[in-house]
Amino acid sequence: MVFLALGGMWVAYTQNPKGKQAPAAQTKAPEPFTLIKIADDLYDIDGGQAGNVAVYITNEGVILVDDKFEQNFDEIMANVKKVTNQPVKYILSTHYHADHSGGNTRWASVAEIISTRNAHDGIVQKKQSNAPEGMVPARVTFTDETDVFLGGKEVRAKYYGRGHTNGDAFVYFPALKVLHTGDMFTSGTPLIDYPGGGSIVEWTKTLDAVMGSLDFDTVIPGHGPVSKKADLLTYRNKAADMRTRVQTLIRQGKNQDDVGKFMTAEYKWAPDSLNMQWSLPGMMTELR
Amino acid sequence: MSRTLLVRLSASAIALGCAWVAYTQAPAPQGKQQAKQANNTISKVAEDLYAIIGDGGNSTVYVTSEGVILVDDKFEYDGQDIVDKVKSVTNQPIKYVLNTHLHGDHTGSNERFLPTAEIIAHKNARDNMVKNKAPGVMRVVFTDETDIFLGGKEVRMKWYGRSHTNGDAVVYFPALKILASGDMGANNGPNVDFANGGSMKEWGKTLDEVLKLDFDTVIPGHGPVSKRQYLVDYRDVATKIPVTVTSMVREGKSKDDIAKVFTANGGLWVNPNVVNKLDQIMAELK
Repeated sequence: MVFLALGGMWVAYTQNPKGKQAPAAQTKAPEPFTLIKIADDLYDIDGGQAGNVAVYITNEGVILVDDKFEQNFDEIMANVKKVTNQPVKYILSTHYHADHSGGNTRWASVAEIISTRNAHDGIVQKKQSNAPEGMVPARVTFTDETDVFLGGKEVRAKYYGRGHTNGDAFVYFPALKVLHTGDMFTSGTPLIDYPGGGSIVEWTKTLDAVMGSLDFDTVIPGHGPVSKKADLLTYRNKAADMRTRVQTLIRQGKNQDDVGKFMTAEYKWAPDSLNMQWSLPGMMTELR
Repeated sequence: MSRTLLVRLSASAIALGCAWVAYTQAPAPQGKQQAKQANNTISKVAEDLYAIIGDGGNSTVYVTSEGVILVDDKFEYDGQDIVDKVKSVTNQPIKYVLNTHLHGDHTGSNERFLPTAEIIAHKNARDNMVKNKAPGVMRVVFTDETDIFLGGKEVRMKWYGRSHTNGDAVVYFPALKILASGDMGANNGPNVDFANGGSMKEWGKTLDEVLKLDFDTVIPGHGPVSKRQYLVDYRDVATKIPVTVTSMVREGKSKDDIAKVFTANGGLWVNPNVVNKLDQIMAELK
């Protein structure tokens, strides 16, 4: 139930193009964050209408995946302290959006933040239309893969190709066979950030490369409940199906308005949503 | 750079070159030895960029308003001297140490810097250090390229393939057109560490890729600060050695025959690191 509620709030966020702050539409108190144990020393912090934060505890410090919005700093810290006294040493960013990297402004003085080069550039070049002012990029970037070794444990962040953006990293915990996908897998439909280099054609190829090369059982999506590998495959197939249906319409000569109405009816893309702003025009071009 | 400084630098480069040959040819310089005194000189190469030359591999110092990025950290006994030399040009702390490869004359002060700086190397360099039980193993590695952004400046560290080892990275300063080449360009000629994945066959191809970068100045792994042409010449020799050895081996020539050709060619061909490893080079290139 909590997952559904939070999923719904995320949809509210991504569909609110002016969502620079926490959505103002909601007057009731925000839902408390949920701390979920996934495996030994690995947790997921869900909440804040922002991306799932993975917490990996080692005896030399904590590695986080993503850091939500800037205003979520205290609550992330409080949740980490519930399960360890170790300080946060590293944050691996899955991509440049403010609901995953917005916390960098606070965490940059605390921990080493690492992202893909393109995620860094996306923040510097302000590619996210509804991003808050003053976002801080990672100081350390990579193009292919970076691995962090801490307290005898290993975490791998790797770029597999375009999809949600042109700089999505997957973060793999090899000892636990757990994968954090960032927004390459969520409880919603694919949000293709074309201004940020995303691609629905490449998206499924990227997921195929991930599933073909990594040995994992459990998946932490960018948003939504902790899932299994089979759920990722289902998502991939639905994304491929969505692409095929849209391409069919476009090749039948439907215009952007027609396709937009179809997306609203079939995939619940609200008329003012980021899906309509970021994804629809790009799909019209890419799927011609 | 003044002429006296140049002369002094060249003289010390020759002396240190000899010392480096002695070091690299005696891979375990332990045993009876007095406590070593660091002996290094820091010199300005460009605005905010300095080379510390003396013991072990050359270190490069890049000063930014948010901290210092250091390339390679020599031997363990050089750690304090590196800190002192950096302090002579800036009050900024050393925030990042980029290791060009695993060897102890480039990573020897890692243990000292690990608590206060982020040390980064290629994944293969770390794997080799773990395999060799070397001290000062870094926490962060990369496979293809890692870029550091500090104080509005950018440094690119990139792996192009095998050469001296299988985990050598070059460090590029794009705003200055300067390259720290590590030991894939070091004064005495190609020294292949076969035990750590080095390759004479790949070396020239790797430098072909490095030379696609736009740089004017090279800070080599050992030896004086040089121009781009130094690495071009180095690439040419590294490319010709495999061609020569392979064809001579296939013609049934002996090791002595090959050694004679090397001697006749002179220059980088006749350094002890090449000649002493001729058996292994022939084995790779047969």
